[in-house]
Amino acid sequence: MALAIRFALFGCTNRPFFHIVVMEKRRAQRSGKIKEMIGSYDPMPNQDNQKLVAVDFQKLQKWLGFGAVPTKHVAELLGLGGFYPIHPMSYIKAKRKRTLMEKQVADMQAKEETQETAAIQVNEDTQPDSTEDASQ
Amino acid sequence: MAASMKCAWARCLSTILLNSTKHRCQISQPLYASCSNITGDSGNDEIIFRKAEGEGGTDQTRQEAGPADDTKKHRRDPGKAFTDVRVQKILLRLTGLDLDKVYEYRAAKGAGVAKVALMSDQQLKKVYESASYKALRKLQMPPVLGAREPIDEVLSEDPELEGLNTSKLVFIDISQRVPLKKRTIVVREPNGTLRKASWEERDVTLQKYFPQSGRKIGLPRMFQQDNLECMLDDGKHEYILNRACSQFEIDDPEYIRVTQRTYEHIDGNGKFEDLRSTRHFGPMIFYFTYYKKIDKLLVAFLEEESLEDSLDLVKLYHIVHPSCKSAEKVASMPDATPLEIIRAFAEMDATQKSLVQQAIQTYEKECDSTGSTQLRR
Repeated sequence: MALAIRFALFGCTNRPFFHIVVMEKRRAQRSGKIKEMIGSYDPMPNQDNQKLVAVDFQKLQKWLGFGAVPTKHVAELLGLGGFYPIHPMSYIKAKRKRTLMEKQVADMQAKEETQETAAIQVNEDTQPDSTEDASQ
Repeated sequence: MAASMKCAWARCLSTILLNSTKHRCQISQPLYASCSNITGDSGNDEIIFRKAEGEGGTDQTRQEAGPADDTKKHRRDPGKAFTDVRVQKILLRLTGLDLDKVYEYRAAKGAGVAKVALMSDQQLKKVYESASYKALRKLQMPPVLGAREPIDEVLSEDPELEGLNTSKLVFIDISQRVPLKKRTIVVREPNGTLRKASWEERDVTLQKYFPQSGRKIGLPRMFQQDNLECMLDDGKHEYILNRACSQFEIDDPEYIRVTQRTYEHIDGNGKFEDLRSTRHFGPMIFYFTYYKKIDKLLVAFLEEESLEDSLDLVKLYHIVHPSCKSAEKVASMPDATPLEIIRAFAEMDATQKSLVQQAIQTYEKECDSTGSTQLRR
């Protein structure tokens, strides 16, 4: 079995909270077989719009020395924190989100434009044909 | 080395206090129970007391010990002047040691009930001495420092992470046995910048993960401007200062604002004696001296007819502002009497000249009527 530095999901319904723990990779997270807890990650932003991550870096380095391997998501988080280089998936996710946002913005703008043109057309239909009179 | 320095300094402090003529310990007074409830030391800083190179106002001492009067740098850093040994000695002497006040009962967690014991005179004397030594701890002055410089360090810019998160990620290092001030706290902004956390963010995050008793997360409502004024009008100066000491770091701009407003209020109402024999008296005196506002204080001391305190205050002024006119004049007259020194200050450096001079005249009249011009008490 592989020793991993991973998240263990605690908290309750609709309120996730992760402990950053050292345990066997494939074990159930609440089985109680955690070797050591070395931090926490709160994925829900607080009043100041912050997500709090606490890591005991000394213990982390010790377990890395023992051969523990961080999982993908822990490695991503540590990359964002500056301990590791930024994970490629962070860049990819960011790019995907940006593309999605841009697409959504473009869609909304297109929608607004079509709505505007539809409104103008409706106005023209209901009003008397002043342009036709003017041209004649 | 540090331990022996501490012991030597404690002995020095106790000698000053026990020999202070302001408040003599009277052996026949009953001893009240000690209350260990006075709000704890806020910072973990050791004050390093710097030895002045001499008692007189030599050029070397001026450069090392006192701040130049109007340079911006020293305006922002009263700490250098505050930690001068001569300044500390004078502040301690002025604070005095009123055991009854120091060990006054305060309603708080862990406050004990008064104990009554039957003792011999010798035992009582011993207990008094140990109580006085312990009282030194309660009279530890919170240092007066300049406001801390804002933290402005960016560790990395990664604009390609824009869009990943809509909230900030705050990382704190919870390794064991790291002093609070050295804990690494960094923030990853939504635009991808990784920067060190600001002082405000640091204080809040540290309080969440390493809570200190007596502190709240965020600013307590008591310290908001309007509420603070209400408390000051109620006369709760000591309470405000104690709570500020436990809530803020000493170099927090909020702490400086609250304490300075409290001192100004005391100055406006002349209630200096409220803080006598508390840990805040020294910092208050130092604040007035540093910012050249000692006139009302001097008048209050003269009205009390304590020439020693008035002289101490003027001497403190000369140490903190060694290039002022009265300091130079006093340096040129080595055999000046206390009253002459105070008069020199009143003529040359007092901002409310007439007030101080009148107070000196009143004092002289009182002395003449009682037939003594020597140092009283």
